[in-house]
Amino acid sequence: MSENLEHSFVTQLKENQNIIHKICRLYTDCEDSHKDLFQEVTIQLWKAFPKFRGDSKFSTWAYRVALNTAITLYRKNKRSISTVEYEGRQHFIKDVDYNYEEEEQIKLMYKAVYQLNDIEKALVFMYLEDKDYREIAETLGISEVNARVKMNRIKGKLKKILNP
Amino acid sequence: MKELDLLKKDWQKNTDSFEQVSEIEIYKMIHKNSSSIVKWILIISILEVLLWTGFSMIFSADDYLKKINNEGLSFTLKFFTYLNYAVIVIFIYLFYKNYIRISAIAATKQLMKDILKTRKMVQYYVWYNLGMIVFGLIMGFIIALYYNPETIILRNKVEHDPKIMAITIGILAIVTIVLFGLFWLFYRLLYGILLRRLHANYKELKKIDL
Repeated sequence: MSENLEHSFVTQLKENQNIIHKICRLYTDCEDSHKDLFQEVTIQLWKAFPKFRGDSKFSTWAYRVALNTAITLYRKNKRSISTVEYEGRQHFIKDVDYNYEEEEQIKLMYKAVYQLNDIEKALVFMYLEDKDYREIAETLGISEVNARVKMNRIKGKLKKILNP
Repeated sequence: MKELDLLKKDWQKNTDSFEQVSEIEIYKMIHKNSSSIVKWILIISILEVLLWTGFSMIFSADDYLKKINNEGLSFTLKFFTYLNYAVIVIFIYLFYKNYIRISAIAATKQLMKDILKTRKMVQYYVWYNLGMIVFGLIMGFIIALYYNPETIILRNKVEHDPKIMAITIGILAIVTIVLFGLFWLFYRLLYGILLRRLHANYKELKKIDL
């Protein structure tokens, strides 16, 4: 029974691991921390797995646990400055027929997003993942209207960071 | 916002670029220990409860009372001792209940609230114990001076010499202040570091929801 549970968990996590990687990318600034957070999210997911009933998708459920871990539960081991760029990030921005100007803009946007605080990052993350405001609000535990207002403010903040 | 849409496109395009973690690695991970903030709070809290329960047992005055042999006093102190045990049990129950309520599946704001609530409960417990110890010190002091036949010489001195009285009260006051000061510092350092990020994020979420 517990072996089945373990197997089912590991298989589903392996398929959905990019969700966690994306959150790690946003909340950590070096590869070690990325791995560290990935591990903590995995442990938290596993701990919560017996309560996962499959009435929602594994991925939807994983979003919530992973974000909660990154924002609330995870303790950074090392003190690090969150604006430091690490090389691992560069390879996200390569494309075969790339447009130099566009690439520059995307790079700047990534940099701007890293300057946001933990909660703002969570909103941006779900926005980038195409989640609707209902789900964003539900995940964070705030009202839908306030999530919308906050997202608009974040857009303003990002604009300001891009054009100081 | 044009740039954000650009980022979104890039974000969704680049999902396969992560170094994939294998099943074996995931198996290994789920058998490792969590280092989450909740676990740290739990460990520290259990230590606190043990420490303070231990203290309140050491401070038990049974032998002392036998020596003094005053029935009214014995009864009062026994009453306080049992009351103290009852309070400890209630606190431990509340603490446990709060702790199991913490769930990573909850909405972020609720999760933070539950963690802070659990923390606060243990803190109340510590302050309660600290209060009881200060209370115990003062009680013990009064008993020592007024009921203990062994201190009759000191009692006479205190009663007749205001200087000695001032010194004894001064010592008690200093002990109390130092005890409080140490605790205050300890909590500032320990939980200040542990909960700083959580507090900041909780405040941010509350601000959004005003």
